Amino acid sequence: MSYFFSDKDYENAIKYYTEALDLNPQNAIYYSNRSLAYLRTECYGYALADATKALEVDKNYIKGYYRRATSNMALGKFKAALKDYETVVKVRPNDKDARMKYQECNKIVKQKAFERAIASDEKKKSVVDSLDIESMTIEDDYVGPKLEDGKVTVQFMKDLMDWFKDQKKLHRKCAYQVIGFAHVVLHASPCLLLIFIFTEKITVCGDTHGQFYDLLNIFELNGLPSETNPYLFNGDFVDRGSFSVEVILTLFGFKLLYPDNFHLLRGNHETDNMNQMYGFEGEVKAKYTAQMFQLFSEVFQWLPLAQCINNKVLVRFMESWPLKQKPEFLRNGRSISKRGVSCQFGPDVTERFLEQNKLDYIVRSHEVKAEGYEVTHSGKCITVFSAPNYCDQMGNKGAYIHLRGSDLKPEFHQFTAVPHPDVKPMAYANTLMQLGMM
Amino acid sequence: MAARQPFTDSDAADEAVRTTCDDATTCKRFATSQGYWKDLHIHYFVRNVGERKAPEINRGYYARVKGVNLLLDEFIKKTECKCQIINLGAGLDTMFWRLKDENLLPQKLFEVDFPAVVAKKIHNIKTKPPLSKPIIDMHSTDSLLLDAHNLDSDRYCIVGADLRDISSLDEKLKKFHLNPELPTLLLSECVLVYMTPSQSSNLVHWAAETFHTAMFINYEQVNMSDRFGQVMIENLQRRQCTLAGVEICQSLDSQDRFLTTGWDHADALDMMTVYSMLPQQDVARIELLEFLDERELLQQLLQHYCICWASKDKLSLGLSQLGF
Repeated sequence: MSYFFSDKDYENAIKYYTEALDLNPQNAIYYSNRSLAYLRTECYGYALADATKALEVDKNYIKGYYRRATSNMALGKFKAALKDYETVVKVRPNDKDARMKYQECNKIVKQKAFERAIASDEKKKSVVDSLDIESMTIEDDYVGPKLEDGKVTVQFMKDLMDWFKDQKKLHRKCAYQVIGFAHVVLHASPCLLLIFIFTEKITVCGDTHGQFYDLLNIFELNGLPSETNPYLFNGDFVDRGSFSVEVILTLFGFKLLYPDNFHLLRGNHETDNMNQMYGFEGEVKAKYTAQMFQLFSEVFQWLPLAQCINNKVLVRFMESWPLKQKPEFLRNGRSISKRGVSCQFGPDVTERFLEQNKLDYIVRSHEVKAEGYEVTHSGKCITVFSAPNYCDQMGNKGAYIHLRGSDLKPEFHQFTAVPHPDVKPMAYANTLMQLGMM
Repeated sequence: MAARQPFTDSDAADEAVRTTCDDATTCKRFATSQGYWKDLHIHYFVRNVGERKAPEINRGYYARVKGVNLLLDEFIKKTECKCQIINLGAGLDTMFWRLKDENLLPQKLFEVDFPAVVAKKIHNIKTKPPLSKPIIDMHSTDSLLLDAHNLDSDRYCIVGADLRDISSLDEKLKKFHLNPELPTLLLSECVLVYMTPSQSSNLVHWAAETFHTAMFINYEQVNMSDRFGQVMIENLQRRQCTLAGVEICQSLDSQDRFLTTGWDHADALDMMTVYSMLPQQDVARIELLEFLDERELLQQLLQHYCICWASKDKLSLGLSQLGF
């Protein structure tokens, strides 16, 4: 069995340890070794689960603590990792590697505590609450789009998109207004949206990732949003592409214009951790202010997670069950996502879930697909991705889906990337920000 | 006084190739700053860490540096340092200082690049004692040759030359005491792809003709005929950078130019495979440095680069055994 490790063939090692565990489910070493294989293949969630299981079986198995600590480090759970390293160091005081890892982890934990301490010196109250947009003034020489009587209009949106297309900046007061109003609308909407369409169609788009010019192209190909041309954008609007500000302000703008016919769901890039790393925070700070990023951060937390169309089609960004739920570790069932931050499931679970909830199929995004979309689980699970030539290098097509109320059969439309001004992806990603995952 | 030469299209193309040296250096600078691998001397060539590179780029460079170094070090150890290394298109590589620190210096390390790049490298060496001192330490006499486009010392030689002009290259290297009898390793990283297939063929053939016991390591693009490859070519075109030799980069098979130019044995692996064959404990360490949000990006990147290594082994050192 260990020759798979020496051959660095981790996939096979995982397969064989799994079979071994089927026969021998109380073997801590197998769990620990499979945990190692998962670590090597970057499936930190699985690695953590296995390490935890190894310790459940044998709480004196030191390697298990080691593995669990490594998994926790990978997942950014430094305090948890520190406890386990402490255990290892106590039992193996001469182990230099363990001591070194303990010290490194300790450094990170201390640094984070320090950061938290100084952060709480600043006002903890919400930017939304403390923002005074009224007192902001717009200079006379600003000739860009403005809200009309504090309202988003069709003309405003058209002007806004043209303005952005020319790489011009929306006045910060207007930007704050749009984001602030979006907050109000999103605050009032539920986490799971239920919508009903009858004869009309709805267009479902996947990740757009700051690719503003490709977003404009979607509107070109598929028509501008309106009461009769509803849209749903399934998460990951920002990061990677360097026109994320333009994308999100446009999407928020349409949300304000057509609150019942234009929907946005939260993706994993509508979070602080990702925004710090993949450019959105840097872009907002460069184009506006840190405070505006704080505002975005708060508003993102109010984005709905899922939408159900005609009680038949469920759309949400990725396989994210509420994280509070303790998932069972079933090979073919519902289990911790290999990425460690959510859940994933096999075709049988999709089937069961759809049956129990009387749904036809689910739509998700989150993964780049060469054709812009992918149909799996015998048509029960559809992926849609709307950022063509992702990161200016993947050469993939983008796609969007038409769903008509009459039959809800997905109709796929593909498109290719359009040119954009010479600003590279991740142009605003901050060198100084790290997730500190050492 | 010589008349000013007009700046031609081919000058522009060459200039574009020279700037790829900067790309590589800045990417390596950033990656080392994040802890992907240690390079204690790169900051003397590029002071600032510069803008953030995407995690898949950092991991890609990690794979490249570790992969190439693995083969390089194997060769040096096999020959017990009684060898020569010729780094073709070396750019601002810090190989000399790494090998010296690790007691793996060959008898002599030769680096070749465009005169403009060499001038920049030599300028940095001249003006920074942490770079020049180790070279002087390894030199037996009081003075070593150091002018704008050439550096020559007992163990380290940097030469400005055009790799497409083989006779001139040969002459320059021999002038600085290149020894065809010593087992020699030649290295080219993203170099051959910038010349036409016939030019690179000549270079590879020259190497086979000149040395009886040698290894040639080539790192460059592969699998370029798919969409990702096409996008890469277009992106580089936009920077006036033409991959003149890209037809050899269609697949691992088309990289068999070595076997038809006088080399006895050749191997090639794409970087995805190389990545999985690197010491996995260290791979696990670097994968914790930055969270990669989309693993597909790394896979695509790694599948479009490869390492090829060819050997000929008159001294029967077992060179064809070297690998991952």
